[in-house]
Amino acid sequence: MSVFLQPIYTQTIASGSTGSITFNNIPQTFTDLKLEISARENTVTGQTFVALYLRFNNDSSSLYSDTRLYGSGTSTNSSRLSGNANYLGSDEAANSTANTFNSVSAYIPNYTGSNYKQMISDSVAENNTTGIDMFLNANLYRSTSAITSIQVLPQITFSGYTTISLYGILRQGI
Amino acid sequence: MSMFPIASITITSNGTNPTFTSIPQNFKHLQLRCYLRAAGATSYQYVYFRLNGDTGNNYTYHYLNGNGTSAVSSASTNQGYGLIGYCASNNNTTNVFSTEIIDILDYTSTNKNKTLKALSGMDINASGSNTGLWSALWFPSTIAAITQIDIGPDSYGCLAGSRFDLYGITTSNATGA
Repeated sequence: MSVFLQPIYTQTIASGSTGSITFNNIPQTFTDLKLEISARENTVTGQTFVALYLRFNNDSSSLYSDTRLYGSGTSTNSSRLSGNANYLGSDEAANSTANTFNSVSAYIPNYTGSNYKQMISDSVAENNTTGIDMFLNANLYRSTSAITSIQVLPQITFSGYTTISLYGILRQGI
Repeated sequence: MSMFPIASITITSNGTNPTFTSIPQNFKHLQLRCYLRAAGATSYQYVYFRLNGDTGNNYTYHYLNGNGTSAVSSASTNQGYGLIGYCASNNNTTNVFSTEIIDILDYTSTNKNKTLKALSGMDINASGSNTGLWSALWFPSTIAAITQIDIGPDSYGCLAGSRFDLYGITTSNATGA
């Protein structure tokens, strides 16, 4: 029986809104981590999409950078960012199709190691229009500390039914 | 353990497409892994899908795709089906099958339209190869849990030997951020 993918914790916003979702005390017993995100931000009026970020170890220093490949439904580009959090993609906001949530996967290898932390992520913020946000990202956190907490940050607040699952992945031999 | 095999369909007759029915409702997420080649003797094909047998114009799809020469992003809205990748066909290099992994989060929710996200790839050792990130939205008038998935290269059907594996992914149950 495979045990390579194990649930660590899932958080769901039952109703109302929440400013961020944090996973604390992440077990240090896995090889890699994986996040699955289904999120929306109804509270942001006047916009279709807003930004979704991630921060490790509650560290808001400028140790984060991102390389992005982007598709809008009509055009593509690639760009780099740097700042105090990693960029994951977009959330649907009030102007996007009702009841529609994004889909984001993020993979964090060797999260207990002493090298800088490299993450890869892919995300789609859907909408029943031609224009959407799609990203393939390489995300770097320039810290040698093991990852013990992950904070997923909306631009303003997450909507109800937003759900985020954190998994641990084991390599062979553990 | 959190990832369980639900069903596996191997195509044994050229020109047929798989249908997953009576999908269990006791998982949090679904993942569908596809290994396929279209039976039609044409150029590469789209991978079509429908959910719960819904043939209404309730699907929108988008992609970010590279073909070895350039990258494009495109979309189509209010369709009677969704597209979720490219696949090789019988006009492409022999023995080449396409691969894609499709994630469907919160598939039992009756509060969310369903978003499908896929990584899709087919190198055919020639121009006409493709790799991309695909996304599709299913927005029926009444939001429903997913109980059925129809998928494949539409009327061409799959070549025998194509395989589709559906997995359910559980989570720990915790509510409140």
